[in-house]
Amino acid sequence: MDFLGLISPLFVLLAIGGTLVGIIFGAIPGMTATMAVAICLPLTYSLGLENGLALLLGLYVGGISGGLVPAILLGIPGTPSSITTCFDGYPMAQRGEGEKALRIGIFASLVGGLISLAALYFFAPALADFAIRFSYVEKFLIILFALTVMAALSSNMLLGIFSGFLGIFVSLIGVYDVTDGGNGHFRLIPPGTDYWLEGGFSLLPVLIALFGLTAILEEAEKGMPKGMSLKQIEVGAHSRFSFSVFKGQVLNLIRSSGIGTFVGILPGVGGSAASILSYTAAKTTSKHPERFGKGEPAGVIASEAGNNGLTGGALVPLLSLGIPGDSTTALLIGAFALQGIQVGPLFIGNNGDTWNAMIVAMIIANLAMFVMMYFAIRWFAMVVAVPKHILYPVILMMCVIGAYTINYGIMFDVWTLLIFGVFGWLATKLRLEVAPFIIGFILGPSAEIYFVKSLESFGDLTIFFTKSWIAVILWVLIIGSVALSIVMARNNRATAAAAG
Amino acid sequence: MINRRIVLAALSAALLVTTPLVAHAQNLPGNIRMVIGSTSTGGDTYQNSAIVAEALSSHLGINIKVDPVGTSEGLKALERDARGTTIMLHHDQIYLSYLYGVPGNDDPFANYVIGPTVAINPGDSFLVPADSPYQSMDDILTAAADGTKVRVAIQPGGVSEIGFTAMRNAAKVRSPGSEENIVAVNTGSQADKNQAMWDDLADVINGSIQANEQFTQLPADDPKAMRFVWITARPATLDQAPEAGMGATTRADFLQYASPATSVTLDGTEDFAFDKEFFLLYNKDMDPALMDAIDTALAEIYAEGEIQKRQAEAFFIPNYLPRAEALEHLSAKSERIGGIINDLKAE
Repeated sequence: MDFLGLISPLFVLLAIGGTLVGIIFGAIPGMTATMAVAICLPLTYSLGLENGLALLLGLYVGGISGGLVPAILLGIPGTPSSITTCFDGYPMAQRGEGEKALRIGIFASLVGGLISLAALYFFAPALADFAIRFSYVEKFLIILFALTVMAALSSNMLLGIFSGFLGIFVSLIGVYDVTDGGNGHFRLIPPGTDYWLEGGFSLLPVLIALFGLTAILEEAEKGMPKGMSLKQIEVGAHSRFSFSVFKGQVLNLIRSSGIGTFVGILPGVGGSAASILSYTAAKTTSKHPERFGKGEPAGVIASEAGNNGLTGGALVPLLSLGIPGDSTTALLIGAFALQGIQVGPLFIGNNGDTWNAMIVAMIIANLAMFVMMYFAIRWFAMVVAVPKHILYPVILMMCVIGAYTINYGIMFDVWTLLIFGVFGWLATKLRLEVAPFIIGFILGPSAEIYFVKSLESFGDLTIFFTKSWIAVILWVLIIGSVALSIVMARNNRATAAAAG
Repeated sequence: MINRRIVLAALSAALLVTTPLVAHAQNLPGNIRMVIGSTSTGGDTYQNSAIVAEALSSHLGINIKVDPVGTSEGLKALERDARGTTIMLHHDQIYLSYLYGVPGNDDPFANYVIGPTVAINPGDSFLVPADSPYQSMDDILTAAADGTKVRVAIQPGGVSEIGFTAMRNAAKVRSPGSEENIVAVNTGSQADKNQAMWDDLADVINGSIQANEQFTQLPADDPKAMRFVWITARPATLDQAPEAGMGATTRADFLQYASPATSVTLDGTEDFAFDKEFFLLYNKDMDPALMDAIDTALAEIYAEGEIQKRQAEAFFIPNYLPRAEALEHLSAKSERIGGIINDLKAE
């Protein structure tokens, strides 16, 4: 393969520039990789296909990676796929290990991205053939496995599971869309609110409301003395990073990258599920599952390797079946369409140059992401030195802009931001748990579709146990995860009783 | 005393006054939002809208931004804006959803102004697995007449369903009662329809030339391989497609799957055929002068001939009809299809 022949200065510049802009989009709460790609999509017509793809793939890799910065430093996931990075990254930052958490996340992102890229390059057609063996049943069981993390993330299991189911319930509000194979009927919509709730609540406004606006409201409630910053989140000082932190985490790193890649190759499971599944698997198999959610580096590794593993994985069905693996690659298909290029099972064979250009662009983007983020940590860290009375209004403004633009200008998304910000603030007072709620909200719609479609297609519930050997393996993982949660909850109770 | 603030304020005010809010060609707004009835940027609706928006923008010297907000949000945006700063581009789905009774869909002919048509996507098609016992639509309809259930994967309530309706209608015409053996498997996206075939949940799937042609080129022993059995477009429409066709399938090949070579009868004498047409929609209170301006601009653009080349590259058939003719054409089409749907419902 003539890699060097594809590298023109413009191509490299676009890949690196795209990565930089993507990182900025990912790092701003409310902005996402999908948004960055959507904005730049029309440019691909004038840039030409290969150069256009270099830009878009840079944006994609950068956007997915940049999400870890606010997740760790502010506790606000920059993108939906970095939600699980918050769970351990933010506690690490709060105890003064912000730099360490960032560097762990960035390195894990690089490994996840490169492993998935290798899988894409060497095994794309074979992986696509494997992916089509996953029917509605197996996809439902994967979602169910990811949902089991709700119990494991809860400080009070019962309230956590209740919060998770509440999240699922809220996610189902709206029309059961025919484009998802539904019947087009409205459900769970309070009378008189059809106009606004027809499409339900969008994920991104809910996410940034629960993690961003809620935190701002809580700070406002406590009072915010002028000049006070997030100084407890020290970066550097006593949190020097060393690669020794990955000792004992190689398996976690590879497994999480593999899970991310695998979720990417399954169309319809959703990008956010990649990091949730990686996190669930890391916790389930950890010797110290009780440390997860309290600042465990393995949690950051799992989450970031998982969500960057998605980047190569999601391109597998796109380039081997013509089917996008996540919302961002769904936009990439537009770049091909605008150039009149067919994407399907013959794409790689028929478009060798474009295929090679995409691989080169992904390598450049991953390396550029690592270099830019790894050495820019000091700059990122400046955000924690900004006084809260300045920082929070800026975050609030970015959240509003992000909510308004995510669906190309729908005002109800801004109201969603406000509604769920207040809900998050009240929820903590009612001891409801936000993390299981949002996981339920993210995974609820997919769970519903695959459950209903499984029953419609195969007739009864036994199919979930008898469909295939893949289903059996998934049940083993589900039962293992639930059992671990129960054991952990008992141990916590016993520890609390002994202490009290 | 004149200071810097006053100078800046004066300059700003002057700029505001001199910036025309509606100062472009034929008094069209300088910035127009073209919402589309799809949330995808990879589909034919986005492709069509991008081509039309770009052509109108450069011809009129205005900015037109395509926003893929989906049908429901698109119509809401259109309802809110009678100034002409929001227009919509969609296709036949908008009235088919109403005819099929999909909840939340009102009669677009009554609630909006139907604008000019711009293009046809001739790709709507039906496919079977490569190893299917059905070689043709005739085999499928014969199987239904013989009492075999034929499962057809569609997305209900739109263009995908109209071909299914036509199949059931043809089965009824050939052998009354056999339409009950043509059963729908409701799926969502094209990926879901393909997967339904690979999981052996569907015998026939709705697809498109653009999305499925490559699957028809796979070796027959590949589990993903498919075959076309029917392309719903009118032969006169397909005749306008590039001779090279798409991928490895030529126009002549495609014509073998369309009427009259492949017959799905409408009434025993005439074949059913359906073109998926893209057209503009306007707020019903929008100034007709603005609509005329867009009509005129499009007429000039199509007369120049460049847009046709771009549409052909994307495998679309240029199909400009000014809004009066478009309304007449689409109303008649809607009425004809509504009749078929109602006949089947009445059974």
